[in-house]
Amino acid sequence: MAVRKISLEALARVEGEGSLELSLHEGKVETARLKIFEPPRFFEAFLRGRAFSEVPDIVARICGICPVAYQMSAVHALEQGLGIVVDGPLRLLRRLLYCGEWIESHVLHIVMLHAPDFLGLPDAIAISREHRAEVERALALKRAGNEILRVLGGREIHPINVRVGGFYRLPTPSELSALREKLERAREEAVALLRWVATFPCPECERDYEFVSLRHPSEYPMNEGRVVSNRGLSLAAEEFDSAFEESHLPHSTALYCRFRERGSYLVGPLARYNLNFDRLSPWVQSLAREAGLGPVCRNPFQSILVRSVEVLFACEEALRLLSLYEPPEAPSVALPAIPGEGHAATEAPRGLLYHRYRFDREGTIEEARIVPPTSQNQASIEEDLRLWAERHLSEPEESLRDRCEQAIRNYDPCISCSTHFLRLVIRRS
Amino acid sequence: MTAGADLRSLRPLLLAGLGNPDRGDDGFGPAVLARLARLSLPESERIVCARPLDLLDHWPGRRLAIVVDAALGEEPGRLRRLEPLTEGLPRPASSSTHGLGLAEAIELGRSLGLLPARLIVYAAEGLDFSPGAPLSAPIAAAVEEAVARIAEECRG
Repeated sequence: MAVRKISLEALARVEGEGSLELSLHEGKVETARLKIFEPPRFFEAFLRGRAFSEVPDIVARICGICPVAYQMSAVHALEQGLGIVVDGPLRLLRRLLYCGEWIESHVLHIVMLHAPDFLGLPDAIAISREHRAEVERALALKRAGNEILRVLGGREIHPINVRVGGFYRLPTPSELSALREKLERAREEAVALLRWVATFPCPECERDYEFVSLRHPSEYPMNEGRVVSNRGLSLAAEEFDSAFEESHLPHSTALYCRFRERGSYLVGPLARYNLNFDRLSPWVQSLAREAGLGPVCRNPFQSILVRSVEVLFACEEALRLLSLYEPPEAPSVALPAIPGEGHAATEAPRGLLYHRYRFDREGTIEEARIVPPTSQNQASIEEDLRLWAERHLSEPEESLRDRCEQAIRNYDPCISCSTHFLRLVIRRS
Repeated sequence: MTAGADLRSLRPLLLAGLGNPDRGDDGFGPAVLARLARLSLPESERIVCARPLDLLDHWPGRRLAIVVDAALGEEPGRLRRLEPLTEGLPRPASSSTHGLGLAEAIELGRSLGLLPARLIVYAAEGLDFSPGAPLSAPIAAAVEEAVARIAEECRG
């Protein structure tokens, strides 16, 4: 029987380059393959031989959208290897910095990249013409996130103020006071954003995912916690390799990360929210409920709502942290000169980000391992595509292509990060 | 009247270098800005950014903004001077962060009233955008030409 090909040359409104190939046979989707063809970037290889003090600045270059996540996983892993814990106000500032990245990364995806799918508009420019106030609000919110990065990170992209042991420079009281004013406005804007997104028509589509995220004893997770799932997984970060394995598949330059025993799993906002709803404040919970979300959400298209809830959370949390902050005596803690091996997982905007480093007594990196969220979600994205495409196989090819791209955008995939990644080819037989 | 128009007389000339210095010829804009920083020029604000959308925070209220960027093209090192507010700017197949390039930033700025009164873009056609690569020879050679022409625009 003839094979029918539909090709989607380049996925739009995702970060990086890749394509999608669907093979269709007798009304079923046989395979859905995300083909990632960005060149592998070999970050792990070129970290070897560098001083551990250089790692936060090098890994920040992996991603222009989520550099803080890479820095946070790196410093926590290295500090674990050194046997030190950075606590108190320095820990608080790290969490505040992460809030900034969640705000700017999520808002960019929600309004500029994802919202067009729900509003039937081609892009953010069309949205700005029809929903000007909402786009202006989003830009203001994003600026608030950027401002946190500028004040704590030293600059808005690829921050330079994070070091193993703390920071190079502490923020001044006047910088933090100005930040607080901006975040108070941002919190109101985040409420309005969530209420606007709650009006979007959302497709019905649920899947029985295994959600994986961090869980902390008292906080909505960012920098710390055990790696848990809704099916009983509970690991320390150093046990990550015992539960998950990466493999290389010929069609992609990204590594596939799967459970050794159960296959695909899902990381990111849906997983975090479902496993940590009780860690949100009653106020954020009530606004999530008002927006139509229960404590568990299995609809990947509602990830846009969950991201909006997390933006609200990040604004509220940033203000809470600012109210608690007392300057520490020094911007960083002293580091011992010992060899070590350390592991850490933190919650990047797109999900769990695992790092492992081994270093010698001089602090030279001997081995580095980085497992980004998009590699972990790759198998899950393909399973979503199989389900979603199969439902819409009777539609014209252009419509089917649009739907597949939308299913991928639910993940806010960061292809450059994962390349370790998108076009669509549909083969029908 | 927009807030931008109110401030127009207050904000100096903006010189913006767009690009990622760790991605081969994409570092053209930052390289030109680094050279311009060594010159004595009329009052200006200088920024380097990798995300075109961030320009929307810097454009409002300017009489003039000059953006220096690398471009995909057929003739590596060829320097183009564009005035996109009057001439338009082609929207290429995306290779920029999250699919929001300079052309999209300009269109968003237009619809939200965040554009400078006048926008000049200097774009050099790149050859190699590999991660970690230095500027290719043709692009490196275009840096001096861009610096000289932009300095002239600033003084003019």
